[in-house]
Amino acid sequence: MKLVRNTVSAIAMIAAGAIASAVPASAAWDIAKAAAPYKGTQLNVIFLDRPGYRAIIKLLPEFEKQTGIKVNYEIVPYENTREKEVLNFNAKGDLSIALVDLVWIGEYAENGWIVPVDKFTADASITDPNLNLKGFFPLLLDAFGSWGGKTYGLPFDNYSGLLFYNKCMLKDAGFDKPPATWDELAKTYAPKLTNKDKKQYGYALQSLRGETQSADSFMRSLWPHGGSLLDKSFHSNLTSKESQAGLKFRQDLMQYMPPGVVSWDHAEAVNALAQNQVAMITEWSAFYSTLTDPKTSKLGDCLAVAPEPTGEAGRLPALGGFSLAVASQAPEKEQKAAWIFIQWATSEDIAKPYVEAGGVSGRMAVYDDPAIKATFKFVEPMVASWKKGVPEFRPRFPAWPAISEVVAEFGSKMMLGEVTTENGAKEIGTRMEAILQKEGYYDGKKALLQ
Amino acid sequence: MASRSNGRILHGFGLLAVFAVAIFPVYWMVSSSFKTQTDLLASPPVWLFTPTLGNYAEVFADQKVTSAVVNSLIVAVFSTALAVVLGTPAAFALARYDFRGKSDLWFWFISNRFISPIALALPIYILAQGLGLLDTHLVLILVYITFILPIVVWICTDQFRSIPKELEEAARLEGASQFDIFWRIYLPLGLPGIAVSAIFGFIFSWNELLYALVLTRRDVQTAPVVATSFMSGYELPWGKIMATGTVIVLPVTIFALLVSRHMVRGLTMGATK
Amino acid sequence: MSNPARRTNPGYGRWTPFWFLAPAVVALFLIGIYPTLFALVTSLRQYNLTRSRDGFPFVGLANYQAVLSDPTFWDTLARTARFFLVVMPVEIALGLCVALLLHRPGLNFLRALARVTLVIPLATTYAVVGLLGRLVFNRDFGVANSFINLFGFPALDWLGNSAGAFAAICVMDVWQWTPFCALIFLSGLSMVPVEIEEAAKLETTSHWALLTHVQLPYLLPGFTAMLILRSADVLKLFDVVFTMTRGGPGAATELISIYIQRVGFRVFDLGTASAQALLLLVITILLARLYIRFFYREIE
Repeated sequence: MKLVRNTVSAIAMIAAGAIASAVPASAAWDIAKAAAPYKGTQLNVIFLDRPGYRAIIKLLPEFEKQTGIKVNYEIVPYENTREKEVLNFNAKGDLSIALVDLVWIGEYAENGWIVPVDKFTADASITDPNLNLKGFFPLLLDAFGSWGGKTYGLPFDNYSGLLFYNKCMLKDAGFDKPPATWDELAKTYAPKLTNKDKKQYGYALQSLRGETQSADSFMRSLWPHGGSLLDKSFHSNLTSKESQAGLKFRQDLMQYMPPGVVSWDHAEAVNALAQNQVAMITEWSAFYSTLTDPKTSKLGDCLAVAPEPTGEAGRLPALGGFSLAVASQAPEKEQKAAWIFIQWATSEDIAKPYVEAGGVSGRMAVYDDPAIKATFKFVEPMVASWKKGVPEFRPRFPAWPAISEVVAEFGSKMMLGEVTTENGAKEIGTRMEAILQKEGYYDGKKALLQ
Repeated sequence: MASRSNGRILHGFGLLAVFAVAIFPVYWMVSSSFKTQTDLLASPPVWLFTPTLGNYAEVFADQKVTSAVVNSLIVAVFSTALAVVLGTPAAFALARYDFRGKSDLWFWFISNRFISPIALALPIYILAQGLGLLDTHLVLILVYITFILPIVVWICTDQFRSIPKELEEAARLEGASQFDIFWRIYLPLGLPGIAVSAIFGFIFSWNELLYALVLTRRDVQTAPVVATSFMSGYELPWGKIMATGTVIVLPVTIFALLVSRHMVRGLTMGATK
Repeated sequence: MSNPARRTNPGYGRWTPFWFLAPAVVALFLIGIYPTLFALVTSLRQYNLTRSRDGFPFVGLANYQAVLSDPTFWDTLARTARFFLVVMPVEIALGLCVALLLHRPGLNFLRALARVTLVIPLATTYAVVGLLGRLVFNRDFGVANSFINLFGFPALDWLGNSAGAFAAICVMDVWQWTPFCALIFLSGLSMVPVEIEEAAKLETTSHWALLTHVQLPYLLPGFTAMLILRSADVLKLFDVVFTMTRGGPGAATELISIYIQRVGFRVFDLGTASAQALLLLVITILLARLYIRFFYREIE
């Protein structure tokens, strides 16, 4: 086995496309043996139609062959994922694995819908000795998988906000490197890169009402400028000087953005960069493959990637991603089989084939691989972004989905100029505090976790 | 004479405008489905281009769209058929008999169409989960009856009322039973109305989205569910979306065109008597 | 009805209507009763699926109180009413014009062609209409801007501003539902007995007089049906708007059912969402009753 592994070079692996076949079995841990009691178990899980899931689906046959565990995945648009899962958990349905967006972790954990991993790690017969939880980026394991000091899920589909830019356009405008700070982006770069007559714009920020507005647009404007949604006592911090500065910054920057960004989702922003209509966007790392694909992008060699610019409060890029956790509604046997699958899908062994198939692993080790670094330009800035960051970039408590709706509504109204940043902040503040009051954060009933 | 031919020109022009406006968006969808991504994103939009079948190749590459069309077909045909079987006798009774509370009963039928699916989706989900009916054709068929049946009852009641009573009386003198009258006289003569209500029933259930989103998962995803699934916000493959749209809209449009000659005769909506 | 003999002997047994009605009534009742009662009970509880750990206690009418004092509920309801008041008159007016064009004799081929094409918008899947709207009204590559450029107006950013997005969803709705109105009007027109219409044409050359004096009585029932169905549909309108704008930008196209869906399936506050939906049902029923009282002859 070892011999085979050594002779297969990374390049040959990509060429052959036979990615899964190279996953080695460690001597101490034989996944087939561990899974033997659960042979024939059917696992149900929700997947998204995104590169990370397509990658694991490609690798799946190998897992099913080795273990005899069948994974039934249902592909659902992101917008409907939480709806499907919450309904399923409430009706004691058939999902054995929860796909957990980082902002859902509090809700899922507090409702007892997902099982902490220590229940399984205690059982050596089903736990990979190389599980190595420390091998995940601590930020990711903390933000995507943990709640209240307990780990529930393992980071599976991982994102960081990055600055994607058009090197050629920047060069034509006289810049040989990307902006290092938000201030520089707004004051120096954007004016020079914007030419409204030619329908060219310096920057675009996707701001469609929904999670795109609240996460990508609104929160991204707060953190780097030292602002935040909540203060220490969980009251609104949106009227603070820093938060207001951030929101005003976004308002000012809009003059260099294409009109209509308020109706833009990720696809539109990525497309605008791909079609040379804007020079810079801040988007999730996973869009790298869309932007390099000649079928969808005109950029070619002009594409470059950098970490998001820094603000007065440092570099605080958008953070997002999904973990996989065992659903507590599943019967005991199914839970164990689910745990075996989750470990496999997020293991260090599979990280490389997973990345090569288009996924973004949460394991640190894989990004030290020179072949990976050379092929995927987004790796370095992404790893830099994950070194430090705020897990609560968006609060992960159960109230977030409700608050996100409020933020999305008034955040987009601010951008449209229907409310001022001050009044909008006040509106969000009162509604948000009413929600938090109901949750019991102000009468000491609940720990202030986000 | 001059004003007459002017009128004729105006008439023709008006009809052409109706034709053009009604068909344009669909034409745009179909033509977009043959465009490459580059042509699709061209600004201003292009009217002449080299067509490609690439989008269709992609759409039919996985089973999703084909099986969605089959699922929609099964659900729409059965729910419509059941609604017609259940609804026409009821419409006959409402059109022909006198009894107390008739107009309230008629209104109750109609009002079933008023209920917002959002309120009922959860109870139905829980019920279906309990009965093991989630992700089956049966649950969609049953649910869709609730909003097709009102249409069938409404249109057919009006249609049956427009049938002259003398026919019925003649049959009765020959000793026909009430069921005979319904079966031999009203059903055949009411066919235009039944056809129209069936068209609408078919269209409504073919196009229904909210219930289908909640009640289906892997096996019986219907066409609208699949159409919206491409709109993940993450990528917008317009060519593929438009090709899917075309595939989904085509069967129901063909069906509607085939029976459209009944359309006008059957939609009396109470305009008789 | 005036025949006394029929009154005493209608020719059918007392239970005959019952047997014809029973299957439909029983089916609707069986399928509908559990979900409806469930929704009614839910509307009286604190029923949030994401707080199932707290249980679902009864709260009386608190949800209804909350809904009635919720400014967003009233805002979205007012926006829905505005939407209805914009699209309905346009659809009625255009529908009537189209019906008259189709009813006018002559040009048989064109008439048949136009009539057949009317079915196409009706049959187009609502969700697809919304997606199509997003493509057509795109600022850069949308064809809507090509048209307005043709008439010398500058390109608009339809979906990126409040008025434009509202106008865009109105346009799509008018496109889809005008044919429905036209077909109903057309069938009403074809109900007018030929002799009466011919006689009237000899007496007057005014189309308007013909329409109001001769044809109108035949159009009214269909008109009522249209109002009832469209009111109910607009209050439930979801697919097109959701796929086209998601209720944005801001809250410009957030119609009532988009809001209820948000409360019900994003916030998962099903107690409130059920109360909202039931209030909406009451509004629809009242509207329908009102239309029938004013325009429709009761079914005898």
